[in-house]
Amino acid sequence: MKLHELFNELNWDNLTPDVSLDKDVEGVYCGDLLSWVMGNGLPNQVWITVQGHMNIIAVAGLREFSCIVIADNASIEDTVLQKATEEGIPVFASHLPVFESAKLLIEKGV
Amino acid sequence: MYYDLHMHSCLSPCAEDEMTPNNICQMAILKGLEVIAVTDHNSTKQLASISEVAKSLGLYFIYGCELETIEEVHILGLFDSIEKTNNLQNWIDEHMPNIPNQVDYFGKQEIRNTKDEVIGIEDRLLIVSLDVSVEECVKAIHHFGGKAILAHVLDRKNSITHQLGFIPNDLPYDGLEIKTLEQKQTVLEKHPWIQEDSTVWFIDSDAHRLIDISEKENQLENQLFKDWWGIGV
Repeated sequence: MKLHELFNELNWDNLTPDVSLDKDVEGVYCGDLLSWVMGNGLPNQVWITVQGHMNIIAVAGLREFSCIVIADNASIEDTVLQKATEEGIPVFASHLPVFESAKLLIEKGV
Repeated sequence: MYYDLHMHSCLSPCAEDEMTPNNICQMAILKGLEVIAVTDHNSTKQLASISEVAKSLGLYFIYGCELETIEEVHILGLFDSIEKTNNLQNWIDEHMPNIPNQVDYFGKQEIRNTKDEVIGIEDRLLIVSLDVSVEECVKAIHHFGGKAILAHVLDRKNSITHQLGFIPNDLPYDGLEIKTLEQKQTVLEKHPWIQEDSTVWFIDSDAHRLIDISEKENQLENQLFKDWWGIGV
């Protein structure tokens, strides 16, 4: 599945509109402890987290995640989104909690 | 100059009742330390009495606090006056969630005077995250005139590397706290942007019991400390 196909079906805010969504999606990873995510995430996963620290961009790049989903209305600073745009990492905001966000992705066939 | 810049008084719920102003200062002197900082979780309210006791015993005292950020990272703020930590306390009060302490579960949060008598109880739970990021926390410590040390940077709990994966290369901290000299090599290997010589490294006890306060084993060269702290001991 392609990222743009997936997110066309979801009513989630695209916080990095200038970043290409021409990416593959192969599964989902949920986690907020960045050292854990760094050790366990896999390429092309959608990463759902409430962690908004700048380091999420480096972690997403390192694990080659397809995108980051900030769940549960967690806050994220503009500087983090600027960095995501520079690095070409799409960031979305889901207003649902992590579990419901993941369930929705399953319903859409991820 | 032998130091221990990270320990908890009986105000921290996780510390033993024996961590009173007099016990802490007497034990530090007994162990041969020349400078200590007391760093309770998210509170500075025990510092006034401990600093008085320390002064009366001729022990150099640094006014400290162990702040917890929204990412659950622990950062030590170190200050040279009670006025500065009073300002910090006002800032903490603005950013700390108001969750009542459950004494049975978390432990007592007692404030003691210079005679070690209980003169106050902190009702709000102190082992919580402030609603500020690591960057905002370091900025606030600097704003109030203090030094920021990233606490126990390789710990499996509440350390910057555990919570955030690595130490950001643009974070303007003033020192890194490690548990052993070997940990310094690990930090350097993981972070090519950290320079060994231009970083000030600390090995502290993080004592919650009297017996755990550092022995006379970790020292900074007097001039290095003076350059870093701005005042000689």
